[in-house]
Amino acid sequence: MKANLKEFTKGIFKENPVFVIVLGLCPTLGVSSQVSNAIGMSAGVLFVLLFSNIFISALRKVIPASIHIPAYIVIIASLVTIIEMVMHAFVPAVYSALGVYLPLIVVNCIILGRAEAFASRNTVLDSILDALGMSIGFALGITLIALIRELFGSGTITLFPVGTFSGVINIPWFINNPIRVLALAPGALLLMGFLKAFFDWNTLRKKDR
Amino acid sequence: MRKNIKYAMILLTICAVSAFALALTNSITSPVIAQMDADNRLKALEAVSAGYDIGEQKEVTDQAFVTYVIDLKKDAGIAGYILGLKTAGYGGEMTLVASYTAQGEMLFAQLLTHNETPGLGKKAEDDGYMDKFKGTGDSKPVPTNKTMLSAGDAQAVSGSSVTFTAIAKAINGGSEYVKSLGGVK
Repeated sequence: MKANLKEFTKGIFKENPVFVIVLGLCPTLGVSSQVSNAIGMSAGVLFVLLFSNIFISALRKVIPASIHIPAYIVIIASLVTIIEMVMHAFVPAVYSALGVYLPLIVVNCIILGRAEAFASRNTVLDSILDALGMSIGFALGITLIALIRELFGSGTITLFPVGTFSGVINIPWFINNPIRVLALAPGALLLMGFLKAFFDWNTLRKKDR
Repeated sequence: MRKNIKYAMILLTICAVSAFALALTNSITSPVIAQMDADNRLKALEAVSAGYDIGEQKEVTDQAFVTYVIDLKKDAGIAGYILGLKTAGYGGEMTLVASYTAQGEMLFAQLLTHNETPGLGKKAEDDGYMDKFKGTGDSKPVPTNKTMLSAGDAQAVSGSSVTFTAIAKAINGGSEYVKSLGGVK
């Protein structure tokens, strides 16, 4: 049981896909301009990673090593297309917010990376826990980046509209004094670099102790 | 050889199951999506109609930006037009609807479909984005370049020049098309 729990928690901090394994940087940098986009992307990754890990783990004895990649790509691409159609039909606001990044989950390295490195070698239960942990780790990473970028780059925090709430929270002072570069692509790279350096420093500090 | 056939059969099975799952999902979602698109289009037409009566849609095939035209009627006369416009943005094709006076002045516009980057070109969906084109096309030229905008508007389209230029060209093309129809009939 403890070993199973380890599969879940490792993805959140110790092997965080964004800051430690450095996987899935394309959506992390591309979508993190608004908090709502980061949350929507995290939900998409969670769904695809969970089901791709389940299918790939269940089929691990059926799919030979030499056709891993084409088989995985077909499974992942199908799952992404299914989630895209379902989101378009039933949650159009999230579908619209994610835009072009939703189909790009197909080539998100986290999905293929976990399929090859974990799900193809472990049981379905462990693969589910791995997917949940990695998805939460990804969600924390991308949401942290989005929060900093949007707060300092635009002076707002964008969530989802509910009733009379428009979904956009204007932050006093920051809205009139935005650091524009953070809202743009170079700002995402700069911030990612600083955060990666911080997490590396923190890891080394703990090791030294 | 036998090994290759086995691999091919495994891949074929995975592809067949995937295709079945996709077909099943599509059969459930496509009617919902089609209905939603039709509703959105109707809402957009009403939003840009400026209170005039909306006439019948006529397809336009010989224009770069205009895909269809709808007469806006007032007291049995034509007060203006709604045009369906298409243009190429940063993420591919964008479609929009825009209404014009019979002299080619843009009244209202709304983005319908696009694949622009969230946080950048996607801002073209926001309320107020199209305001910078309002009232242009007749005596005032359509701003097709950022230098033709006020400092505030230029800042608002910063980082999404391709999207802005694509929309501006489509709106300008629509205005030119309306002018070619010959004014008030």
